[in-house]
Amino acid sequence: MGALRRKVAEKLNLLVFLLPTLFFVIVFIAFPVVFSGFLSLTEFNYAEDAVPKFIGLAGYWERLIKDTFFHTALVNQMKFGISYFTITFIVSLLVAILINELNQGVQIFQVIFYLPMIIPLSLVGITFAWILSPDVGIFNQLLRSIGLKKFAINWYGYPGTALYALVVARSWKMIGFTLIIFLAGLQGISRSLREAARVDGANFFQEIFFVVIPNLKPYMLVSGIWILINSLKVFDLPQVVTQGGPGIATLTLYLYSWKLAFERLDMGEASQVAYITAAIILILAWVLNRVFKPETAQRG
Amino acid sequence: MGMSSLALNGPTIVKAIFSRQNLIFFIVLLFAIIFLFPPVWMLITSIRTTQDLYKYPPSIIPKTLTAENYIYVLTKMRGFSRYVVNSLIVTISTVIIVLIASAMGGYAFGMRRFLGQNFLFMLVLGVLTVPYIMYLIPVFLMEYYIGLRNTWLGLILPYVALNLPWGLLIMRGAFSTIPTDIRDAAIIDGCHEFQMWYRVLIPINKPALAATTIITFVFAWQEYMFASTLMSRNEWQTLPVGIVWLRDELQTLVMGRIGATIIISIIPVLILFFAFRRFFIEGLSEGMLKG
Repeated sequence: MGALRRKVAEKLNLLVFLLPTLFFVIVFIAFPVVFSGFLSLTEFNYAEDAVPKFIGLAGYWERLIKDTFFHTALVNQMKFGISYFTITFIVSLLVAILINELNQGVQIFQVIFYLPMIIPLSLVGITFAWILSPDVGIFNQLLRSIGLKKFAINWYGYPGTALYALVVARSWKMIGFTLIIFLAGLQGISRSLREAARVDGANFFQEIFFVVIPNLKPYMLVSGIWILINSLKVFDLPQVVTQGGPGIATLTLYLYSWKLAFERLDMGEASQVAYITAAIILILAWVLNRVFKPETAQRG
Repeated sequence: MGMSSLALNGPTIVKAIFSRQNLIFFIVLLFAIIFLFPPVWMLITSIRTTQDLYKYPPSIIPKTLTAENYIYVLTKMRGFSRYVVNSLIVTISTVIIVLIASAMGGYAFGMRRFLGQNFLFMLVLGVLTVPYIMYLIPVFLMEYYIGLRNTWLGLILPYVALNLPWGLLIMRGAFSTIPTDIRDAAIIDGCHEFQMWYRVLIPINKPALAATTIITFVFAWQEYMFASTLMSRNEWQTLPVGIVWLRDELQTLVMGRIGATIIISIIPVLILFFAFRRFFIEGLSEGMLKG
């Protein structure tokens, strides 16, 4: 009798411990995901319509086949994603490898590279727009002073450069995160493994390429997935700096979804874009998992 | 003898200067300077006069230094102090609720066994990968019908939901390293499970709680998309949204003053970052590697 009562009490306690988590996950996560899934199958202007009008998969068909704005947003997103991934991955890997070699100053350097993580992205946007502004911006002044006057252009005002100028700002903020991952990985690689390579006559670059990089594979996967997830969450910067412009040169999937929802007030169309974005993240994460799957490399 | 050592010294000095260690140090230093430049430039901008900022061609070195921008922002801009208050209330409330919820949930996930445990935890972690706009649209509609828009609570609730996964990840990790003997011993001693959780386990997990605090604070402090969408009225906006509003709506507001608002707005997180840096990095590293 006592044992049973204690069992019931234990279950009840468990429920109490889980209650806050369940409340937030169900009300603010699970329900919204299901609900926006439902919305994506409807036409719904929340300011005018009382109830969503069910249209099935027609909206997805419309987005994927006919919507040229969506196509542009998708292409912009790909350009953004690829350049963002490349810059963030390579720079943070390079900096991590170099910092790992240092005997002194490691702490201070780490603080400097981590600093961008705490600055709000919208304010990063204002800062970069100010540095890169065409006439009074310091970057163009620097270019002019070293004789590269013809490169001193309106970075955020020109369709060919605006997207990439946003990539630089976004990477600047993200590199600290992936640096943490790579440094954790590098610390796990045993000294003896590297010394063995050196004894075998490997030079510094051979050591990096044949010993360090293969052993970093699991960490590359982790940071790759984080960069990937982040590469699609592009809203703050284009919204603050370019408003998706010039024209629609910096219209990303996130921004397009947001504009559909809160400027055109069409929650159905916005949800379709959001769901397609989610599908892209899933597919790419799966591909990345395949590419970086650690087969022979051992975990440090 | 003296001559020969001198002759030897030349190449040795060159070699010492171009040693691998120095070369790497120099490259990292170069990266660091580039990285540090944007915030430093904003700081410099914020202490320059308007004429100095908008003259052409611009110069790197300020002519005169002034605190005028800061004095103006802190004394004459009523809206700005309102943003600070909003940001502080929303962020601190979010941190407190996330701390309580993740300490409770972390215990359940880390020390108890129950049906669907792993499934539920995967569901929680899934939060981090899904496009946030998928939550934003339904949350917006909910708050639109209930009337939670333009209230602190309307922002705090979704912030807790978005930050809880990090907290749970860290707290679960911390709880799962505690030997279950401690729990069992306490329960056999007649200690109620909640007492044991509060009196025994929470004090052991202080570092994990610190990590959760700083990470939640930093993330909630900088959030833009939810804040800009759910807070349509200026007097409810938080710093990341309000400062953008100042830049857009008050076209006359010069960059020096905007710079001052930016610098002031990152001071609270900067202090926390320096005070709890180790917890911040360890918490992030643990969360990212396990997530």
